[in-house]
Amino acid sequence: MTTTIAEFFEGDLAPLVRRMADRPRGEGGDTDDDRRETRAMVWEGLTGLGALDDGDAAGLAELLGSVLYQGPLLDTLTARELFPDADLGHAPVALAAGSYSGQDETITARCDFVGFADEVEHFAVVGGDRSALVRAGHPSITTRRHEETGRGELHRVDFTDTPVTTWAGPVDWAPARVRQAAYLVGLAQAAIDHAVGYAKTRRQFGRAIGANQALSFRLAEMSMRVDAARLLVHDRDAAAHAAATLAEAADLARTVTVQTMQIHGAAGMRSDDDAQLYYRRAAAESVRLPQPQE
Amino acid sequence: MTPVFTPEQEGFREKVCALLCEDVVRAEIAQSRRTPYGEESGLLDVHRRLGKLGWLAINWPERYGGSGATIVEKAIVTEEMIRHGVPENVHSLGVDIVGNAINLMGTDEQKERYLPGLARGETTANVLFSEPDVGSDLGSLATRAEPDGDGHRLTGRKIYNMKAQHSDFALCAARTSTGPVDYAGITLFLVPLHTLGTVIEPVWNLSEERFDLITLDGIRIGREDVLGEVDDGWQVLNRVLPFERTGLDHSAKAERTLAALREHAPPGSGERLARLETRVRAARLLAWRCIANLHEGKPDEIHSATAKWYTSETAKEVSVAAVELLGPRALLDARDPDAIADGVFDAAFREAPGLTLAQGSSEIMLYFVATSKLGLPS
Ligand SMILES: Cc1cc2nc3c(=O)[nH]c(=O)nc-3n(C[C@H](O)[C@H](O)[C@H](O)COP(=O)(O)OP(=O)(O)OC[C@H]3O[C@@H](n4cnc5c(N)ncnc54)[C@H](O)[C@@H]3O)c2cc1C
Repeated sequence: MTTTIAEFFEGDLAPLVRRMADRPRGEGGDTDDDRRETRAMVWEGLTGLGALDDGDAAGLAELLGSVLYQGPLLDTLTARELFPDADLGHAPVALAAGSYSGQDETITARCDFVGFADEVEHFAVVGGDRSALVRAGHPSITTRRHEETGRGELHRVDFTDTPVTTWAGPVDWAPARVRQAAYLVGLAQAAIDHAVGYAKTRRQFGRAIGANQALSFRLAEMSMRVDAARLLVHDRDAAAHAAATLAEAADLARTVTVQTMQIHGAAGMRSDDDAQLYYRRAAAESVRLPQPQE
Repeated sequence: MTPVFTPEQEGFREKVCALLCEDVVRAEIAQSRRTPYGEESGLLDVHRRLGKLGWLAINWPERYGGSGATIVEKAIVTEEMIRHGVPENVHSLGVDIVGNAINLMGTDEQKERYLPGLARGETTANVLFSEPDVGSDLGSLATRAEPDGDGHRLTGRKIYNMKAQHSDFALCAARTSTGPVDYAGITLFLVPLHTLGTVIEPVWNLSEERFDLITLDGIRIGREDVLGEVDDGWQVLNRVLPFERTGLDHSAKAERTLAALREHAPPGSGERLARLETRVRAARLLAWRCIANLHEGKPDEIHSATAKWYTSETAKEVSVAAVELLGPRALLDARDPDAIADGVFDAAFREAPGLTLAQGSSEIMLYFVATSKLGLPS
């Protein structure tokens, strides 16, 4: 199934997908509405191809990272594990982590860095001993988009006596962490590919910059580290080491994208170059899930 | 190696700090970091205040708007401006790079014409070296300057320069002759920016400050606007470069980000912070060693390369570590109402990649140290 989904992302769609949640600031370009339309179309495509029931969730997550997919899919997978009996259909769900107070019927919480809060149909409010599923769009919910490095769709969400549809126990973060790690591996691989492409074509001092071992060895080293991390996320025991694997993948994604920037020189900082996009997205995605409490 | 300052210099630093800590100055600095997206501040009132006191270019002669002080006092001003968050590119381009080059290598007429405005914080300038196909290898630049009477006509494209929208003129490198050695035959020109024959287009980027693509379409430059000698731009650059490559700007940036990180880091970050702190202290020592060299009139290229590499890599490391240690809170932009530390972490993270590229990339510094210091084959 992952193959079919990979085909879906090939070709003309790829550059649109990479920027489908990017909001340029004061620079012109596509409007938010255009991007939202792309996101809705991608959601239809992914769910239509069975992404919500993919047996190889880590493979799917890695693929999503490699195309820099941004949307509620990974959150939705976690929510579906948390509320297996809820009738969610193909509805997108956002995880909202934060401390909350709530009785039986309603919940009050402030959650930061909630993804795609303005376009999901449900929120899974997590963080305590219990998790609550609530319907989006209720007047008791307010959202505000963060201004942040990733320029993505992260929101502050306030729930005030918001009706709860279903309660569940605490979230099991292990599968979510493995998927996030896999996403970061995919992202890191894509960033390396971007840097390799540039190192082959950009010429200084009469030759391709990639002919210099200072750069080619660094790329080779990162490629090997990604290879290793990929084995970790697809390992049978991945869930048992989920937090450590995610920490490694997060560090790797940040390191690789820093190097991708360096290899691109000033050109990589340009808004129309994907190097800076990988760099910003790696920062945001590497700290996306709550850290394990020590 | 800890820099030793005279009591007068210590006292001067206190006065600079006192000015930079005034409420109106702090408010102006904070505001300048919250300009609407796509806009950015140019010279601020704080620059003009420092300029009025003769502090902005304090090491220049008084008749050109300075105070005739030494490079040490200049470095104190720079260090404190950055520590206090004053946006510094507009200042470093105008005063530290272009103005400094004119002060060192310009004719009296050029100094008269350009320096006082720069020193007062009323005008600024920018640097047109890089081209679409020319970055690290400046010797291969393609912008041409053809003789035209007793002057030249400049044709070419310059990119990745900053602050053109706020600058009155630029220092531009162009080829005046070709020969067996690439870097012979380059000439530096002082060119007007907002005039017929130059087209400025914004190139949006990751940081708070846009790049520009500047097309020079046969613009005429008189003989009086050549800096140094025709064909001899490389000499000027070599003379000026040690002033640019002290690493002081980067070490001060690293200090600023680290100070905020120390304040906001979660419990359990102690060991990591201690290591970063040591690196930042070393960075500052390397930078001040370069200032001391300049003060003694003995610039040292290996010290400069070491300082540039170490300080910029350290500043970058601190910025990336902040994301790791603080999590998503580090990502909040100054414009987000809940930003911590005035959004310094987000701004530093977006600025970080440029630090190890501009003014000589890390790889070029490594190459220089490998071949010149260690004597490895090139
Ligand atoms: C924030 C910022 C501000 C700038 N401001 C100005 C300005 O005001 N005016 C101006 O003219 N320019 C400016 N520049 C451009 C700057 O001068 C260039 O970035 C710099 O010269 C490097 O060139 P490049 O970016 O094209 O990288 P390239 O030269 O294309 O190099 C790409 C990568 O390859 C590496 N590399 C190149 N050659 C070798 C080698 N032989 N061995 C190993 N590695 C190598 C480089 O280190 C780099 O990592 C600015 C750049 C930045 C990032």
